[in-house]
Amino acid sequence: MDLNTIFFGGLALVSLAAFFYLGKFKASKAQTERDDRITWSKRSFSFRSCLTIALGIFLIFFFLSYLGYN
Amino acid sequence: MSRHQALDTFGRSGNPVMGNKFDGDAQFRDMPISQKMTLEGTVNKTGILLLLCFATAAVSWNIPNPILMFTGMGVGLIAAIITIFKPTMASSTAPVYALAQGLFLGGITVMFEAQYPGIAIQAIGLTFGTLASLLVCYKTGIIKPTENFRLMIVSATAGIALLYMVNILMTMFGGGSGIGFIHSNGLMGIGFSLFVVGIAALNLVLDFDFIEQGSENGLPKHMEWFGAFSLMVTLVWLYLEILRLLAKIRSN
Repeated sequence: MDLNTIFFGGLALVSLAAFFYLGKFKASKAQTERDDRITWSKRSFSFRSCLTIALGIFLIFFFLSYLGYN
Repeated sequence: MSRHQALDTFGRSGNPVMGNKFDGDAQFRDMPISQKMTLEGTVNKTGILLLLCFATAAVSWNIPNPILMFTGMGVGLIAAIITIFKPTMASSTAPVYALAQGLFLGGITVMFEAQYPGIAIQAIGLTFGTLASLLVCYKTGIIKPTENFRLMIVSATAGIALLYMVNILMTMFGGGSGIGFIHSNGLMGIGFSLFVVGIAALNLVLDFDFIEQGSENGLPKHMEWFGAFSLMVTLVWLYLEILRLLAKIRSN
């Protein structure tokens, strides 16, 4: 077993253990007791603003590619 | 205007994933605790989905076959669409999704591993490393998802999806290599991959928040499978993007 496997395999195992342990606990009050939490029952942002940002990101990368940046 | 009149007049949320299924305070208040979504249940179900995914990935890894790979991709896509629009079926469609994606990921990983030995374990380690570190950041309140955060991540994800779709169409019908830097190993190509990995990782924070609030509001039990499914979708995407990023870096 080489060093690459030991390091990244170990990282994966430790991370999975941390996920299965910490995932079962409630988040801290700093996370849960605040006024600006996401309201999952409704979409508070408009479809237009979402589309504008998505198109903006698309156009930036598309034109960079068109100009020949690789 | 009463709440019910308002719903009759304006309709419910148009979001097919969340819709009216996240109406915890009113609809699910009287349900017994054993029938409500919990954090522990969601984490356990994520574990089951990961095990299923690893099992079929091992099959595909040992018997590399393009038919297996593309069958996995197709079945996974169908299972994902059904799960998104019909979360009540998530307990049966989410395991199908995990099994199918395992076939796909095992096949694609073999291809990368043949070209760049050792890349698979690096991508797996970094994917789960990202998952754990973002979970710690979320649980401790270092990263606080807000509506603006959600808008930015959803929009950026849609922008990336649009870019990938146009790239596929250009490759199929344009005859060229599509949008060049998506596959290039230059500075721009690596920068783009880093951006996509970042957005995929931040989608995990949205998943954590959905699961946390779902268990707080006492959503029905089947939403545990749905929460686990949404985490799996993001993890599969993140793993593929990390794999591509590492391949680009190593091909230099």
